[in-house]
Amino acid sequence: MGRVLVRQVLFLLGLAFLPAIGQALYYRGTASWQQRPVDSAAVSVEEAKNWGGAVLWVDARAEEPFAKAHVPGALRLDEDGWDTLLPSVLAAWSPERKVVVYCSRETCNASHAVAERLRHEVQLKNIYVLQGGWEEWENKK
Amino acid sequence: MKTRVLFSLILALPLVAHGALVWESESADLHPSLQDKDAVAHFKYKNTGDKPIKIVSVHPSCGCTTAALAKDVVDPNESGEITATFHIGDRSGVQQKTIGVTTDDKPGQVTLLKLKATIPQLLKISPTFLFWAPTDALDPKPITVTVGGDFPVTKLNVTATDKAITTEVKPGPGEKDFRIFVTPTESGRPINAALKIEPDFPKEAPKTFYANVRVDSRAKAAAKK
Repeated sequence: MGRVLVRQVLFLLGLAFLPAIGQALYYRGTASWQQRPVDSAAVSVEEAKNWGGAVLWVDARAEEPFAKAHVPGALRLDEDGWDTLLPSVLAAWSPERKVVVYCSRETCNASHAVAERLRHEVQLKNIYVLQGGWEEWENKK
Repeated sequence: MKTRVLFSLILALPLVAHGALVWESESADLHPSLQDKDAVAHFKYKNTGDKPIKIVSVHPSCGCTTAALAKDVVDPNESGEITATFHIGDRSGVQQKTIGVTTDDKPGQVTLLKLKATIPQLLKISPTFLFWAPTDALDPKPITVTVGGDFPVTKLNVTATDKAITTEVKPGPGEKDFRIFVTPTESGRPINAALKIEPDFPKEAPKTFYANVRVDSRAKAAAKK
């Protein structure tokens, strides 16, 4: 009785694993849908605050939440209005400043997308993404 | 024998206990044209069970995507769709967004609808920003523009928003490349300028691309040759 039960459990587990193994082999090497760019250097709120005036804050959220509140001195930049918003960010940038990009929370992707474009298209150095985003900034106030 | 009956019951349980929202496809592959401002995907579903299902939440992964739902309660055998609109904005290349859907038949479980949009890239500009630091001489710096796909771009018109910035466009180095040589002609004042880059295609709906130029006031005038 016990052996039959164990055998059936193993048989069912094997059945469940077959499609999973097949999928893993088929999709190996492809990026996950929720995978973020691997080169987004992250920085914590505490560390970024310690950098003081050496930080250029970039807010990648939409216009409405930015208008409500943002990190003091932050400039808005998102992919919807990239061409219009980028010149003000570049005018405020200098080679010594670290650029810290944030969006609403840890799970949002806008900060990673903006950071990636600043790094690869604009070719700026010292680009960071704020861990936990605006939500974490508010928690650590 | 008892064990077999027990396992059969466990296996059959999901089939009879609830209705099920079945998606025609959980992913959409969109190819908007150069002129499109939005890319729209239709995720069709059907309730194949015998109980109504409520769509509790529809949550796009980014503010650039909106998801519209005509009706949140789906009766048995009823079909419907979620219309996802991805706003292209100033994006290009492959964009992947998701829409998380939760229903009351699978509490705590999120169905991830996947939207992939391949936005045609007419021009690839590298870099999109030139900077002359205090220690730099005001010598020309190049920007490489590569024409994407098979777009028949033969000419670029480049203008700067500050008259102290001059530009010269040359073909090459590759067959589909142009080089824009940018030179600041004034020293002693900070310059922040935009370069408007206008290809000669598409003629019916001209596109403008931008690069930015910044010159530190301490950058030195180039040595005369």
